Amino acid sequence: MRKKQLTMLVMGLMLVPFLMSTASAKTLKIGSMGPLTGPYAADGNDIKNGVLCAIDVINDEGGLPGYDKIELFPQDTACDPKQAVAAANKLINLEVTGVIGAYCSSSTIPASATLAEEDILMITPASTHQDVTDRGLPYMFRMCGRDDDQAPAAVKFMMEGLNAKTVFIVDDKTTYSQGLADGVRKNALLKGMTVKGHDHVNQGDKDFSAVLTKIKRARPDVFYMSLQNHASGSLMAIQAKRMGLKAKILSQDAMYHPNFVKVAKAAAEGIYVTYGYTDKSTPAYQAYAKRFNANYGEIGAYGTYAYDAAIAYFKAVKMAGSTDPAKVKAALLKLKYQGASKKVKFNKKGDSGSSYVAFVIEDGEYKLHWTPMDTHQQKEY
Amino acid sequence: MEYFIQQLINGLTLGGLYALIALGYTMVYGVIQLINFAHGEFFAAGGYVGVILLNYFAGLGFMHTHPILCLTGSFILTMIYCSFLAMAVEQVAYKPLRRQSRLAALLSALGMSIFLSNGLMLTQGVFDAPYPGELFEGGFEFGLISISYLQIMIVALTAVLLVVLNILVFKTRIGMAMRATAQDKVMSALVSISANRIIALTFAIGAGLAAAAGIMVGLYYGSVRYDMGFVPGIKAFAAAVLGGIGNITGAMLGGLIIGMVEVFMAGYISGQYKDVAAFVILISVLYFKPTGIMGENIDDTRV
Repeated sequence: MRKKQLTMLVMGLMLVPFLMSTASAKTLKIGSMGPLTGPYAADGNDIKNGVLCAIDVINDEGGLPGYDKIELFPQDTACDPKQAVAAANKLINLEVTGVIGAYCSSSTIPASATLAEEDILMITPASTHQDVTDRGLPYMFRMCGRDDDQAPAAVKFMMEGLNAKTVFIVDDKTTYSQGLADGVRKNALLKGMTVKGHDHVNQGDKDFSAVLTKIKRARPDVFYMSLQNHASGSLMAIQAKRMGLKAKILSQDAMYHPNFVKVAKAAAEGIYVTYGYTDKSTPAYQAYAKRFNANYGEIGAYGTYAYDAAIAYFKAVKMAGSTDPAKVKAALLKLKYQGASKKVKFNKKGDSGSSYVAFVIEDGEYKLHWTPMDTHQQKEY
Repeated sequence: MEYFIQQLINGLTLGGLYALIALGYTMVYGVIQLINFAHGEFFAAGGYVGVILLNYFAGLGFMHTHPILCLTGSFILTMIYCSFLAMAVEQVAYKPLRRQSRLAALLSALGMSIFLSNGLMLTQGVFDAPYPGELFEGGFEFGLISISYLQIMIVALTAVLLVVLNILVFKTRIGMAMRATAQDKVMSALVSISANRIIALTFAIGAGLAAAAGIMVGLYYGSVRYDMGFVPGIKAFAAAVLGGIGNITGAMLGGLIIGMVEVFMAGYISGQYKDVAAFVILISVLYFKPTGIMGENIDDTRV
């Protein structure tokens, strides 16, 4: 019996060098999450490419001290809460230290709860619902703006920029789109606008003729189109134009995507979208855009935020000198630099703020149309 | 009143599209008692072949000079392509299982559906493919009512296809052979009707109609995506069951009812309940008449 234990001990000791050798060749493992298949695949791929672009940049700078290489494990959430949790579990098993993602707020919220059990740090580049950071998870950060900033900005734009008095709201019942639509309705009522109607459609619908006829009958000044993604948005825009809808159409950040214009074509002209302000003249953005365009094609709605999120994570790991979540968090909170999308600085909650401005689509391009009176400045947190 | 008429037109357009897809389900079921779950994918494939052809014609510069000719050509070629695709699917996935249990063929159909839709995803990408349909935009305005040319085209073409199908099935020798095979394969074989040929033909016709619906959806909604076959496929299947599966007139009626119910639910109550309404109608009809509206209470179903 004792002999057997001894053999076991010797064999166990023989394994030690192997363990040590793997420990010395260190790989920084990070994950990304987003819908890589299904209707929102375009956005998920933007996020993945943004992170890959950030890894390219860090590798060009000579990598991270203490690590031989950075490995990315992209996960597909399909914008489905269940699959998002499964993806989070998979990333936990892969022993990643940080996650950039996810896209849909309805995926990010459950996935972040799973990751929080293992103290894995998560930075979302795209989920704007307030609950993402409002639940008080210690390691949840956000690179994009918040819906409770976007909704008041949208209402302000409707009243000041479009002189609108009435609005008709349609959402597609996702955490993101409905949250934003409810926010717009609340703010519009608060500011004295008339809400002529608030209707819902289902995710994956193609035919919006019935609800658009309803809007046509209601004759609002503005039709607020709150949809999870640009694919359904372009369908709705085409049908609205065909229906001869007179109302001005205002939508949100999800429609800030080259594919929206590509599919909707003439029907996209004159549509307004609110989106976080990015100063495209900064050297940081220019360098990023050049790099991204060369390797990954056109810049989508959230690629830039994903890039900034990944860069911020790498900077924090470098500063902390470890991947210990508490240390990385402390480093992230100390960060203050000009990122590609905006000035990066996190508050205690994990938000980094965004100043929402309105764009109008003209000749197939998003043109800056309106900024809130008070500022071009990013809202400070 | 204007509002009602506009919604009626919306419902007619949507219902017509559902009817075209539902026919494929019902015809195949009528002949071999198989619910062909891959049918929605023939519809999606039709949408893609249509966009490829139209883009090709646009590239040659024919779209502006001969728009009608290009459109007709695309329709015919796409329908032919999808007919052959359906016959190939039948040969590979269903024919070897014809003597096995029905469940085996059903599973094979589900597998084929996943295979085809993933095949589309891998070859055509995950993004929406825009349709070059600007030439056919425009329409009529009567006060609040607006009817687009595309809506007229969809309703007219659907009607024409339905009439042609009815003549084919009820007035020609081929149609008679199809009906005979549906009623009794052994007896029809004794009078030298080849069951294999008739089954292949049934798949071809059903897929051809679905392909036509695919192009129309692409033109009308402006884009196609690899997974576009799933939801309309389910709705059309519901339409076929509602009308009485196996019955051609029933499928047309079922499609129109589902389309109308959806549009009126969205137009008068709320868009979020339209799918619920469609299925509530389906369930309540089946509760009182399990064979569907036009279904007959006999074991032998008709084409």
